[in-house]
Amino acid sequence: MAEIQKIRTACRSCHGGCGVIAHVQDGRLLKVEPDPDSPISEGTLCSKALAIKQLVYHPKRVTSPLKKLQGRWVKVSWDEALETVVGKFKEIIEQSGPEAICIGQGTGRDYESFLYRFANLLGTPNVITAGHMCYVSRIGASLVTCGNLPVCDYDGKPALVMVWANNAPWTNPDEYKGTKLIKAIQQGAKLITVDPRRVYLAQRADLHLQLRPGTDAALALGMLHVIIQENLYDQEFVSNFVHGWELFRQRVLEWPLDKVEGITWVPRQKIAAAARMYARTKPACIQWGVPIEQTLNCTDANRLLIGLMALTGNLDMQGGNVFFVPPRVRTVSDVALHKALPKEQREKMLGARQNKLAARVALVSPKHVWDAITKGEPYKIRGMLLCGTNPVITRANSREVYKALSQVEFLATIDFFLTPTAELGQVFLPGATWIEQDYVGDFWKRHGYVVARNKCVTVGECKQDHEIFMLLGKKMGQNQWWKNMEEALDYMLEPSGLKWSQFKEMGYLKGEMEYRKYASKGFSTPTGKVELYCTTFEKWGYDPLPTYREIPESPYSTPELMEKYPYILTTGQRIPVFFHSANRQIPWLREIRPEPICEIHPETAARHGIQNGDWVWISSPRGKIKQRAKLTDILDPKVVAAEHGWWYPEMEEPGHGFDVSNVNILTDNDPAHYDKPMGATNLRVLVCNIQKCSEGE
Amino acid sequence: MDFGLRIHRKDCVGCHACEVACKQQHDLPPGADLIRILEKIPSFEPVYCRHCARPPCLEACPSEAISREKGAVLLEAQKCIGCKACIEACPFNAIGFDLEREVAVKCDMCLKERVLQGEKPACATVCPSRCIEFSGLQEMFARPWV
Repeated sequence: MAEIQKIRTACRSCHGGCGVIAHVQDGRLLKVEPDPDSPISEGTLCSKALAIKQLVYHPKRVTSPLKKLQGRWVKVSWDEALETVVGKFKEIIEQSGPEAICIGQGTGRDYESFLYRFANLLGTPNVITAGHMCYVSRIGASLVTCGNLPVCDYDGKPALVMVWANNAPWTNPDEYKGTKLIKAIQQGAKLITVDPRRVYLAQRADLHLQLRPGTDAALALGMLHVIIQENLYDQEFVSNFVHGWELFRQRVLEWPLDKVEGITWVPRQKIAAAARMYARTKPACIQWGVPIEQTLNCTDANRLLIGLMALTGNLDMQGGNVFFVPPRVRTVSDVALHKALPKEQREKMLGARQNKLAARVALVSPKHVWDAITKGEPYKIRGMLLCGTNPVITRANSREVYKALSQVEFLATIDFFLTPTAELGQVFLPGATWIEQDYVGDFWKRHGYVVARNKCVTVGECKQDHEIFMLLGKKMGQNQWWKNMEEALDYMLEPSGLKWSQFKEMGYLKGEMEYRKYASKGFSTPTGKVELYCTTFEKWGYDPLPTYREIPESPYSTPELMEKYPYILTTGQRIPVFFHSANRQIPWLREIRPEPICEIHPETAARHGIQNGDWVWISSPRGKIKQRAKLTDILDPKVVAAEHGWWYPEMEEPGHGFDVSNVNILTDNDPAHYDKPMGATNLRVLVCNIQKCSEGE
Repeated sequence: MDFGLRIHRKDCVGCHACEVACKQQHDLPPGADLIRILEKIPSFEPVYCRHCARPPCLEACPSEAISREKGAVLLEAQKCIGCKACIEACPFNAIGFDLEREVAVKCDMCLKERVLQGEKPACATVCPSRCIEFSGLQEMFARPWV
C-alpha cells in the first residue's frame, strides 16, 4: 500500500467553501478532516462534508453516462451520451431557435459561470436557477439599491449582530460559515433575532422578535419608523449618500408601530427596543437569511434591510455590512460571457417583461418555463439540460413541475443519482463531486476570497460539471472554450499573475479590504448614492419605494380560506445534515434525520388529537402530504412549520415518493402572487390544515 | 497523563457534526453511535461517555472487555460477547451496539488513533462552537465549567 497523501481542498457540499484536508491512499478517499488554516471555516467542518465518503462511494451513485431506451436506462459511452444531447439541441435550434432550449441549475455548486457560458454561446436566454427566490434575488436588490451585496464583517468585530430569518449555525449561508457568528456571540456581541420560531440562537439573544411568517418587510418598516422618528439615524450619511431621502422618509412614516404590530404580531415595545438597540450599538451587522426572499415581498424586504444598514451608517463600515473586495481574478461575467448572447435573443427571455430584475440578473422564474412547455406560451420550450437540480422537489407546486418535465420533448440531467427529476429525462450525465474536481472555488461569492478546490480522487467515468459543459459546447461548435480544465483555470486566475499549478498549492487568495469605499468612489448606482428611492425601478415602472404587501394566503387576505385551512404554514426550516433535496441516501446523515418533521404547538396538536411522533396529514389548497409531528412551543399556536426537500431514494419506483412528504406539493406558484421584479414564489407562507393520519395511511 | 473530554451544553448548536466525525473516524454503521445530540429544541442534549473514574460499564462487563487507560474507558471488541450488560449499566445511555459485528461500541476518546499521535478526538476537532473541550484532566478541572 502506498503512503497516505494529505490533499488540501475546499468543500462544496453546501455553500460554505470550507477548508478540507483529504486523506487519500492508492487513489481512494479514506477520510476528510477540517483544514485549520482555512480563513472561512477556521478548522471546523459540518456533517455534510464529513459524510462525503459515503456520497463518493455510494452503491447507488451513477458513475457512467446513461441513455433511456424503450423506457429503460442503459449504460452508454460519454461520446454517445454527449452526441445525443448535441444532436437533439442542434435539431431544436434549427427548427425552433435556441430559445426553445432551457438550461437549468439548482442552488449553485460553483459551475454557474460555465453553465451560463454554455447557454450564452448556445444563444438561449432561458436559464432557470434558484436565484429568483434565493441569494441572486438579494444580489439583484442590492445592485439596484447600493451597487453591491453588503455582507456581515465578522472579522471586523461587530458589537451587535441582528440575525434576520437565518439559522447560520445549521446552514452556513453563502458568504460565511456559522462558526464566525457563534464566535461573535461568544465574544460578547449583542444579539437580536428575527424568526417565527424561537430557535437556539433566539434563546441566546438579547431580543427575539417572533414575527408572523412572511411579514419581515412590515417589521423592517416599523424599525425604520422608530429610527427616523427618534432621530437615531446617521444624519451625515443620509444627507451625503442617500438618494430620495425625503420620499423614503414619508413612505416609512406611513408605517407606525400600532399598524406594524397588527401585521407582524410583534409587540410594539419590542420593535422599538430592537430598533433602538440596533441603531445605537456600533458597529452592527445584519445576518440576513433567505426566508425574506421567498415571499411576494422579496425585493422590498431586501431593500428595506439595506435601508436599515444605510440609515445606521453601517454600510461598508468595519464590523457592519460591507462590500468585500474580491481578489484579482477574472469576474463571473468574463467567464459566463453574458455579452456573447445576442440582443435579439436576450429579448426573447421568458418572463423578462414581467420580472425585470430577474432579467437583469439573467434568470427566468421557472413557472414561465413550465407554461412554455405545457401551453406553448409564448413559444414552446422543447429541450432542457438540468445540472445539479431536483426541481420536482424544490420548486413551488411540484405536481405542475412533474407534469411539465414529463411532457418536455427532451430532457438531459447532470447529477450523482437518478433523482425524481433525473428519472424523467432521456440522458443522464454523471457529475463529479467537489472532491473529484479542480476549480477556483467560491469564484462567484462576495466574501473576498477564492479557494483552491483540488481533485483528490476520481470515481468511475464521472466528470466535473465544468468539463461537461466544455465538451458539450465544443461539440455544438462553440469556439470560445479552452483546451482543457487547466487552461480554463489559468484563464480565471490570469489577473492574479498565478497559474493554476501555483494557486492549487496556495489554498486561497484574499482581496485587499478597504472600508468606506463610497467616500471616494460613491456607490455603484445610477445616482452614485444608496437609492432608497430606486431610480432603476422608476424607469422600469415598479414602485421606486419599498413597501409591505399582505401575503397572498393569510388570515387577512383570504379569510374565506381560514375555515378549511385555519393555520399558517411556514416551510423550509433548515435541517443541518441535508442540503435542500440532497443527502437523503447518505446513511450517516439519514440516521440523524430519518423522517420529515413538522412542528406543531402542543395546544394546536391537542385540538386535533395529535401526539409527538404521529404521522400527520398537512393539506393546502394544492394538495396534501404527510410528515411526523414534533410538538413544540417554539412557534405560535396558529403556525405550523414543515420541512422541505423530502423524497425517498429508497422507494424504487421512478417518482421515489416525490409526492409523499414533499412540502412543495402544497406551495403555490401562481404568478399573480409573485414578487414582481424577481418572480419570487411564496415558498415560506401559505395556509394549511392538519389531521392525524389513520392507521395504515 | 490522564485525558478528559467534556461538552459545554450551553454552546452546543445541535449541528450533529461531532456525530458524523465520529462515524467517519471509527467507520461505524448507522445505529452504532458513540456520541449523539438529542434535539430538545430550542436547545440540545449531548449524549456521550463521561469516562467515569469508577465506570459502571467496566464493573458490569462479564468478559473483561472494558478497561481504563490514560483516563479513557476503552472497550476491546475482540473480547466483547455482545451481552449488552454495559449498555444497561451506563447511566448516560452512552454505549452503542454494532448490529453488523454484534458487539458493544463506545467512545475511546480517539486515544490510540489520534490522541497519542498528538491530535484531538475527531468530535472536538470539527465542532463549530468549540463546545467539546478536550485536554489533560488536571488542566481541564483547573478551569471552570461554564
